Amino acid sequence: MSINRRDFFTRAGSGLAGIALAQMLAKDAAAATPVDPMAPKPPHFPPKAKSVIWLFMEGGPSHIDLFDPKPKLNEMHGQPLPKSFGPLITAMGTGNNSLMGSPRKWRQYGQAGTWVSDWYPEIAQHVDDMTVIRSCWADGLNHVGSVCQMNTGSILAGRPSLGAWVTYGLGSANENLPAFVVLMDQGLPLGGAKNWSGGFLPAAYQGTQLRQGEVPILNLKPAGGVSNARQASKLEFLTELDRLHLQGRADDTELEARIRSYELAYRMQAAGPEAVDLSKETAATKSLYGMDQDLSATFGRNCLLARRLVERGVRFVELYCGSGSSWDAHANIEGNHSRLCRVSDKPIAGLLTDLKQRGLLDETLVVWGGEFGRTPFNEKGDGRDHNPWGFTMWMAGGGIKGGQTLGTTDEIGLRAVEMPLHVNDIHACVLHLLGLDHTRVLFPHNGRQERPTIVGGRVEPALFG
Amino acid sequence: MTRRRLILVALVLPLLLGAQFKSFQLRWWAIQPVVKKVPPPGAANAIDAFVQAKLAAQGLTYRAPADRWTLLRRVTVDLTGLPPTPEEVAAFEADTSPDAYEKVVDRLLASPRYGERAARYWLDVARYADSEGFKADETRPNIWRYRDYVIQAFNEDKPYDRFIKEQLAGDELYPGDANALIATGFNRHFPDESNAANILNRRQELLNDVTDTVSSAFLGVTVACARCHDHKFDPILHKDYYRLQAFFANTRIHDEAIVAAPDVVAKHDQEMAAWEEQTKEIRAEMSTLLDQARANETKDRMSRFPADVQAVFQLSEAQRTPLQQQVYRKALAQVEFTDFTISAKLKGAAKDRYQELTRQLRNFDSLKPAALPVAQTMVDESTTAPPTYILRGGAYDAPMDEVTPGFLSILDPKPAVITPPAGLRSTGRRSALANWIASPANPLTARVMVNRIWQTHFGRGIVASSADFGTMGDRPTHPELLDYLAATFVEQGWSMKKLHKQLVMTAAYRQSGEFDASAAAKDPDNKLLWRFRRRRLEGEAVRDAGLLVSGLLNPKMGGPGVFPARPDSAALKGAWPITTIKQDLNRRSVYIFVRRNARYPLFESFDMPDTHETCSRRQQTVNVTQSLALLNDAMVLEWAKAMAARVLNDSGMSSTDQITRAFRLAYGRAPRREELASSEKFFQRQGADALTDLCHVLINSNEFLYVD
Repeated sequence: MSINRRDFFTRAGSGLAGIALAQMLAKDAAAATPVDPMAPKPPHFPPKAKSVIWLFMEGGPSHIDLFDPKPKLNEMHGQPLPKSFGPLITAMGTGNNSLMGSPRKWRQYGQAGTWVSDWYPEIAQHVDDMTVIRSCWADGLNHVGSVCQMNTGSILAGRPSLGAWVTYGLGSANENLPAFVVLMDQGLPLGGAKNWSGGFLPAAYQGTQLRQGEVPILNLKPAGGVSNARQASKLEFLTELDRLHLQGRADDTELEARIRSYELAYRMQAAGPEAVDLSKETAATKSLYGMDQDLSATFGRNCLLARRLVERGVRFVELYCGSGSSWDAHANIEGNHSRLCRVSDKPIAGLLTDLKQRGLLDETLVVWGGEFGRTPFNEKGDGRDHNPWGFTMWMAGGGIKGGQTLGTTDEIGLRAVEMPLHVNDIHACVLHLLGLDHTRVLFPHNGRQERPTIVGGRVEPALFG
Repeated sequence: MTRRRLILVALVLPLLLGAQFKSFQLRWWAIQPVVKKVPPPGAANAIDAFVQAKLAAQGLTYRAPADRWTLLRRVTVDLTGLPPTPEEVAAFEADTSPDAYEKVVDRLLASPRYGERAARYWLDVARYADSEGFKADETRPNIWRYRDYVIQAFNEDKPYDRFIKEQLAGDELYPGDANALIATGFNRHFPDESNAANILNRRQELLNDVTDTVSSAFLGVTVACARCHDHKFDPILHKDYYRLQAFFANTRIHDEAIVAAPDVVAKHDQEMAAWEEQTKEIRAEMSTLLDQARANETKDRMSRFPADVQAVFQLSEAQRTPLQQQVYRKALAQVEFTDFTISAKLKGAAKDRYQELTRQLRNFDSLKPAALPVAQTMVDESTTAPPTYILRGGAYDAPMDEVTPGFLSILDPKPAVITPPAGLRSTGRRSALANWIASPANPLTARVMVNRIWQTHFGRGIVASSADFGTMGDRPTHPELLDYLAATFVEQGWSMKKLHKQLVMTAAYRQSGEFDASAAAKDPDNKLLWRFRRRRLEGEAVRDAGLLVSGLLNPKMGGPGVFPARPDSAALKGAWPITTIKQDLNRRSVYIFVRRNARYPLFESFDMPDTHETCSRRQQTVNVTQSLALLNDAMVLEWAKAMAARVLNDSGMSSTDQITRAFRLAYGRAPRREELASSEKFFQRQGADALTDLCHVLINSNEFLYVD
C-alpha cells in the first residue's frame, strides 16, 4: 500500500470529528460500538479452541473403509442385509442389495492403537492427537440436504451455517479479514453458497468464499484497474462527504459504522492478498502439505491457506475436499476413494504436523468428515450408497482428547449404536470447545429464539481432554 | 398473594378446570376483536391524534416538519423505490399550492413504479424465487407470471381481501380467471427437491412449508412450534397445526396451467392439430427411436423407489387412494423424461437418424403455433383429500389422531365448513381457509397487513415483530391506532393505496428526523414517533437508484427474470446465463432472476432474505461486502461512468457546474459550501477521471444510501 491507513485517515479527518477518528484508529473501538456486528464478544466460558478448521469430504467418505473396520461384514459379504435390520429407504433404492465387505488392510496406530485403513497412512500418524467418533448420524438421504445439515443443522435450507453462528457468537479476531472463510478445491459444493449462508442472521455473519487466484474475495480489487493512490483519494473524499453528512446526525451509529466499513474494505484490499500469498512459504512447507504432487497440490494449498488464516485470527475455516460431491462413490469405490484419499491424506497430515510444530494445534480444532458415510451393502456391484444412520468423523486439537475412539456402529456399520452423536450434537461440541453454550447462542427469528442446534444438541464430555 | 403466586394460579387454574388454554392465552391481544375507537380530539387526522396523544403523555411532540426536499425524497423512495429526479425536485419546490404534497403522493401512487416497489415487499413475504432450490435448483420457467401478477395487483390497487383469496384459492373461487390461477403460485413457492427419494417425507415438508408461510404471511402467527407439540406460549395447539395443514392436504403442483383466453387456446389447438397431422409420421418414427432408451431409463429410475411407491404405478387412477395418487404424481415426475433428455442417450445409427428427423421436423416449424402462456400454480388433485393426522414429533411416519380442516381452535374450535365448488375437481378446502382469513371478522388479517404497510413507511411496525403477533412478540406501541387503521382499511374496501396515502399524509410521516437529546432520553428507541426514522435503501433500491441517476435504467416492465452480470458469474456457469440484450441488463431489480442457491450478490449483502421461508421484515446491516461491492464492482463503476457522461452532457465545462449537476442527480440538491469546497479539491487532485470518480463517490456516500 502506498498510502497507509493512518496517513489516509489523518488527512481525511482534517478538522472534523477528531474524537471519532481517534476512536476509529484505536483497535478496541469496535467493541464499544454496538452496531459493529464483528466486534469481539466474550464467550460463555473459557474456550479450548480459538479457531476451527473443518475438513469437509463432500459426497460422503466410507467410514467402513477408513476408520471403522467390520470383520463381520467381510464374513457376510454377498449375503442380503439380514431381515433384523428392517426395511430401508435409501437414496438409490439399494436396501435389498447384498452386503459388500471391505478389501482394505487395517492397522492399529499410535499409543492408543487407533484403527485406520491403508487408504490414510499419513493421517494415521496423527491418531494420538485425534478422537475418532464412529457413531455419528444425520437425517438426510440426499447430498444437498445432508451437506446443508452438516453446515446448518437442518436438512432444509434457510438456517445459518455453524460458521455464521460462531462468528455471531464470538465476533471477529481479525478486523482486516472475514471471520468465516470457505475454500473449495473444485466447483461449488452441492447447494452452493447457502451452505455458508448467514440464514436469518444479519448478512455480516455469512461465510466468505476465498477464491483461487490473486483476487481471493469478490470485489476485493477495483474493476478497471484503479491505482491505489486514486482509490485512497476517492476514499478520502468519501469520508469527507460522509463526515459532513454526519453533522446533525451524529446520534446515528450506523452512519458511523458505514464510514468504518469503507476503511475496513480498504484494509482488506491489502490484507486479503497478503493472507493468500504463499510466496514466502518454503518449499519444505509446501512439500509437507503435498503441494509438490499433482494429485494433492490443490487441496494441499487450501490446507496451507487454512493455517495462514487461523494464524491471522480467522475464526472458522471450512475446506471442501472433492467439492461438488466427489466422494460420492455409488460405483467403483476402489478407484474413487483411492484417488480422493491420496488427494487428502498428505495435505491433512501436513496441516496437523504444521499446526502442531507452530503451537497452533492446541487452539485450533480440526474436524474431519463428510455429510454422511456409506452403506455396507453394494451399489452397482462395486460402489456404496449413502449412509446417514451411522458414520465416522474425527476431531483433533483445540481441546480434543487425543488417542481415543468413541462410539460404535452395529456389526456391519449401518447404524450408530453406542454413544450416537447427531449432527446437532457435533455442532454443540464444537461450540463448547469455542467457549459457547449452544443453548445460549440465541437469535430471535419469526417468533422463536433460534439457536444453532435447533431443538437438539448434546455436548458429549468424553470428547474433551 | 405475592405476584409470583398470582401468576402461578393464573397458569394452573385453567388447567385444573380442564380448559385447553391458559388465561393469559385467552387474553392474547391479537385475537381480541378489532375495536375502532374515536380518536382523541385536536389533530388534523385520526392517526396523528393517536400518535400525538401518546407523545403528549410523555411530554413529547413531533419534530418540525421536514424540509420539502427531504420530504420529497422520502416519499418518492418509499412509494416507488427510486429517488426523485432533479426535475421532480424543482417542480415540487416551485409548486406553492397548499395541496402540492398531496399531488405528489397521488402522482407516485399512480405511477407503475409503485407496484414494482410494493411488490418487492410482498415477494419477500411469499418467499418468491425463480428456482426450485435443493441440489438441482432447476429454473421455474413460468413462475415470473406470479411476480408480474403481484406488481399488477398493487398497481391496480386490488383489494387486499381479494388478493388473499386469489393467492390461496384463486382456482376454486374464480374459475376461468387467468390472473386468479396465476396467483395460486403463492402456494407453489416452496423450495423443492424434484428427485427426493423419500416422497412421503417430501410431501410432509411441503405441507409444513405452506402451513408456516400462510400462518405467518396472513395471520402474523408463527405456528411451526406446534408441528411437534402445543405451542409453549401462544394458544396454538399441536392439532391446530394439522387442522390448518389439512386445507392443503389435497394440493398438487400444476405447472402447465394455460393462462390464455379461450379463443386464443382454440386457435392454438387448431393450428397445433394441423402441425401434428403434417408431422405425424416423422414424430412417430422419432418416438419409436426413443422407446428403448426411455424404457431403460424409466426402469432404472423406478427401481430406486421402495416397493410401496413402485406399487402405485400398478394401480389405475381409480384404484389409487388420494394419498397414493399424490405419491404417484411426485414419483411420475421422476420417471418421466423429456425427448431431449432421452435422445442424448442414443448412439450410432439411431442417433444419426434421430438428428435427421429432427431436421426434417424443423421444416414444419412455420406451421407450429407459438406456445400458449403457461403459469406455475397449485391446485387440488381431486374432490377427495387424503386424511390428515396429527404427527408425533412432526414425523411424517408417526401419525396420531386424524384431524379435519379447521382454524386456530382459540378462534373457532369447530371443524371448518367446506363447500366443494360446483363443477370443479377440487375439494373447496382452500376456499374455506381463504374466506376465513380474508374476512373482516378475522382479528388478525387486517391488523397484520396494516402493520406491515406501516412498517414500510415508519421503519418499524406498530407491532415491531411484524411476523409475530404472538404472546412472545412485541406488543403494539399504539394498540388503538392499530385497530383504527385495521378497521378503516376494511371500511375503505381493503384498499392498500388508500392506506399508503393515509399514512404518508400524516404529520407523523412528514416530520423531520432530527435528533433531540431530551426526547431521546425519554424514548430512546423512538417508539412513540417523536421523529422520523432514517432508513437505508435495500439492495434492490441501491441498484435501481444507481441506474436511475446514471440514466441507464430501463423501465420496461414484466416478463421472465433477467440475468445481469455479477462478479461470480463465471463460477455459476449455466445457473446464471448472462442476459445478452444490453438494455435488459438495466431493468429494475425486481425483474432480476431469483436463483435460490445463488442470490444476486449485491442484494444478498444488503440483506435480501434467502427466499427459503417467508420474510416480513428485512434486516438492515452494515457489512464490508457492501462496501467492497459499491467501491469495486464493475457494474457500479459503469454507473459512475454513465453518470459522468450525463453530467458532462447536461452542464457546462466548469468544475463547479459539473459538481453541482452531479450532486443534483445523486441527492436532488446542490452541494453545500463545504461539500463544494471538498469536491473542488478532489477534482484538482484526481486528474483525468475526476468526474467519474466524483460520481462513484456520491453513489457510495451515506446520503445516497440513506433516506432521512
